[in-house]
Amino acid sequence: MPVIETKNLTYTYPGGTKPSISDVSIKIKKGEFALITGPSGCGKTTLCRCFNGLIPHFYQGELKGEIKVTGLNILENPIYEMAKHVGLVFQNPENQLFALSVEKDVAFGLENLGVPREEIRKRVNWTLNLTGIYDLRERAPHELSGGQQQRVAIASILAMQPEVMVLDEPTSFLDPLSAKKIFKVIYELNKKLGITVVLVEHRLDLTARYADHIIVMDDGKVVLDGEPREILSSEEARLIGIGIPKATRLYHILKKDGVKLSNTVPLSSDEMANLLKEALKVHD
Amino acid sequence: MSVFDGLKFRRVYSPIHNLDPRIKFIYVLAIFVIAIIFWELIPLIVLFIIQIPFVVLAGVKREWLRSMRGGAFLASIIFVTNFVVAYFAGRGLAESLENAIALTLRFIVLIESFSIFFLTTSPDHLGLALEQTGMPYEFCFAFTTAVRFVPVLAEEAQTIMDAQKARGLELERGNFLKRIRNYIPILIPLIVSAIRRSLELAEAMESRAWGATKKRTNLYVLKIHKNDFFLIVITIGILATAIFIRLYVPIPSLNQLLKGIF
Repeated sequence: MPVIETKNLTYTYPGGTKPSISDVSIKIKKGEFALITGPSGCGKTTLCRCFNGLIPHFYQGELKGEIKVTGLNILENPIYEMAKHVGLVFQNPENQLFALSVEKDVAFGLENLGVPREEIRKRVNWTLNLTGIYDLRERAPHELSGGQQQRVAIASILAMQPEVMVLDEPTSFLDPLSAKKIFKVIYELNKKLGITVVLVEHRLDLTARYADHIIVMDDGKVVLDGEPREILSSEEARLIGIGIPKATRLYHILKKDGVKLSNTVPLSSDEMANLLKEALKVHD
Repeated sequence: MSVFDGLKFRRVYSPIHNLDPRIKFIYVLAIFVIAIIFWELIPLIVLFIIQIPFVVLAGVKREWLRSMRGGAFLASIIFVTNFVVAYFAGRGLAESLENAIALTLRFIVLIESFSIFFLTTSPDHLGLALEQTGMPYEFCFAFTTAVRFVPVLAEEAQTIMDAQKARGLELERGNFLKRIRNYIPILIPLIVSAIRRSLELAEAMESRAWGATKKRTNLYVLKIHKNDFFLIVITIGILATAIFIRLYVPIPSLNQLLKGIF
């Protein structure tokens, strides 16, 4: 059974003249690392807001079609109910932290759920260790770098132990190195804990290698949906203007020029390097 | 950022900082009451001195001096009015001087105790204390979040100021009214962005199960420790002594005391 399933999902913001997403039908399986990408303003964020019920409960507006997340119908469950199952991490880490210490922020969701204190303490420590911010637990948010803040935001969602984690461009405020670290943390959560990850990202160079599934959106619609290597090789993806990994581009250019390379399309520079080494060995 | 440094909260550990804010507040109230029931100079001097060990123990001497300096202007107004009024009402020079000093000192003692409270209580602790005294959680949350965003908004104000200056806005130009008007191009973007920020915050709160249950739990809990008991004892001691003295012991004025000695 898919963890997230939408059928002909169409949504218009209150006062909007045309729908921000239209006719979106996707399926995301349990334990998957799904990547949603597409040009700015294509409706990625809107789609994310549907996953935990911010749309329509918080934003109002008009929602048509069907959407089920972890088997629950969004329309019938309030946001706080969905929050137990789906965690949402937003772009700007600064605006997701409310407390005056990291520890307290990580505990915030659990406190809201009324979890007993000893259990909160246990889960907070577990989460802090897992995301590598245990040493920062007493710091105030303004004493942290952007990368650290985003880690706290991820940790605070993780503490609620959701089945699905949706991250909406979590690194757009970060430098490449911090971004890389964040992606690694996310990947480990996906692999070690089996949390289904839905990542919205432009930086495919850094993330395509982790993905099991890519969804490309454009102008409110899903235009491509499938296996990363296949989708990133397609001409369509290039024309929409998504950031195809340089390794993948290089592979296709070389292939076109008649260089003999094996048939697995590389998604990262490491993979590309291995392919090239192999190819060079053959020539020796 | 130096202008806004004073707005940042810091986490400090000292015997005074670690005290339960509720008890500290009771202490401050006790001092407040005592300062009100005495109008003679000598007990007020004693009251002033009693509190200095707190400042030293907390290690906030510099901040404390700064806040006392902040009160200096008001204190001098109080001194001058009281002195002038008493003097022209026909009391002697020495007596009106002593009276004016006593009333000024009363004001200083009030500032002193309140500044000790606020300088040694982290906003986190204060929020927690509010929560545990039965204040609705929404208010406590609003309070701690406001404190949390002070440095953020201060930084943003600085950025907007720089951006507007880069576009040729001159802040320090013109007369008083003009100068106030100069700040409009800073205030409007600041307010707009604060509203946008609050929307994002609301989204993040909702996503973390805000309002899921009426019975919210808390990671921290305030507990009364040994030192807190100690402070309770001190507070009760001071208060009892003060009331006893007020009721049964005649207090000489400093003038009479000096005359008696010489």
